[in-house]
Amino acid sequence: MEIERRMLKATWGYDGNLEPLYEVEDKEDEILVTFDLPRVRKENVEINTTEDSVEVIAKMSDAVCWERWGGIQKRITFQAFRKQIRLPEKIEPEKAAASFKNGILRITLPKIRRKVFIQIE
Amino acid sequence: MEEVVRIVEEEGVVHKNPIVIAGLPDVGLVGTIAASYIVDKMGYKEIGYVESDLFPPVMVIHEGKLKYPFGIYGNGSVIVLLSEVVVPPNAIYPLTRALTAWIKEIGAKLVIPITGLPVENRVDISKPEVFAVGNSEAAVKELREKQMELLEEGFIAGTYAIMLRECGKRDLNAISLLAQCFPVYPDPGAAASAIESLELFLKLGIDVGELLEKGEEIKLKARDLMRQINLSAPEMQKGVEQDMPIMYR
Repeated sequence: MEIERRMLKATWGYDGNLEPLYEVEDKEDEILVTFDLPRVRKENVEINTTEDSVEVIAKMSDAVCWERWGGIQKRITFQAFRKQIRLPEKIEPEKAAASFKNGILRITLPKIRRKVFIQIE
Repeated sequence: MEEVVRIVEEEGVVHKNPIVIAGLPDVGLVGTIAASYIVDKMGYKEIGYVESDLFPPVMVIHEGKLKYPFGIYGNGSVIVLLSEVVVPPNAIYPLTRALTAWIKEIGAKLVIPITGLPVENRVDISKPEVFAVGNSEAAVKELREKQMELLEEGFIAGTYAIMLRECGKRDLNAISLLAQCFPVYPDPGAAASAIESLELFLKLGIDVGELLEKGEEIKLKARDLMRQINLSAPEMQKGVEQDMPIMYR
């Protein structure tokens, strides 16, 4: 899996997007990706997948505004979470499923895999 | 020889056998969120700080003032240890030794590290349960009397685990409260449950309503610290908390 280098990379951008916390788990036949999306409602979540990536754009119900902070030192407003993740294995986008509960988005992504049953002699 | 970790108290602080609450960054940021809320609601003043060359070269700016990221707050009867940065793994042992030596010196009667107990199905849990670990027979007896759910078998890992150990070495009773939490996301709900359990030991009368209402805002602010915790988790051996001990009966 590609390793994200985080030297001076912030988890926010001047484009009004925040990077959400997320977790990628290998569940043998599928990959489970979860995102923590506070202040987001289900109807404002957009998920796009390809065979090797998943992208989430989630608009917050109320924008968050931070002032006098860090290198900004004036007002900055964030309206959405946005993150694209490269997946460790190829998946079948058409069979992906998602659920959203208590601010946690869960996306299950079935791997492309051909199973062969092996008989033990 | 200069100490590796230094506890610096302001002058004139009078301790009255306090109870010490430790809210250091760990899973779910349960301890940090709980400690921060307690300090805010109780209006505890900063009475000191912890510094070390083993800590990252970071200082905090709050309201234009330079502050140490590891602060000590409280009044004569309650002390809260609160850190805004992750304790590096190589600092855990000297930190806990220095802290417990100081806690013993000030005559504390009980130490309560607050942390999280990661559970996979946290999203389906509406009100997290709180479990407890005591570091002595007396501590465990008190937990049973208060009908706390004990962790009976397993491993614990991280700063709070070594804190319990070092307290034990100095005959300090310590009880760790662990609230069910998300493994990798900040969990104000778990912090609220932990504060409610704290009432059994320390009647602060804190209403957690505001904590729950502001939960989403807290999650937004806590993202970066949570990310740091997640990056340090492997070196902290946090994964071993999911393992079964070989001596399990």
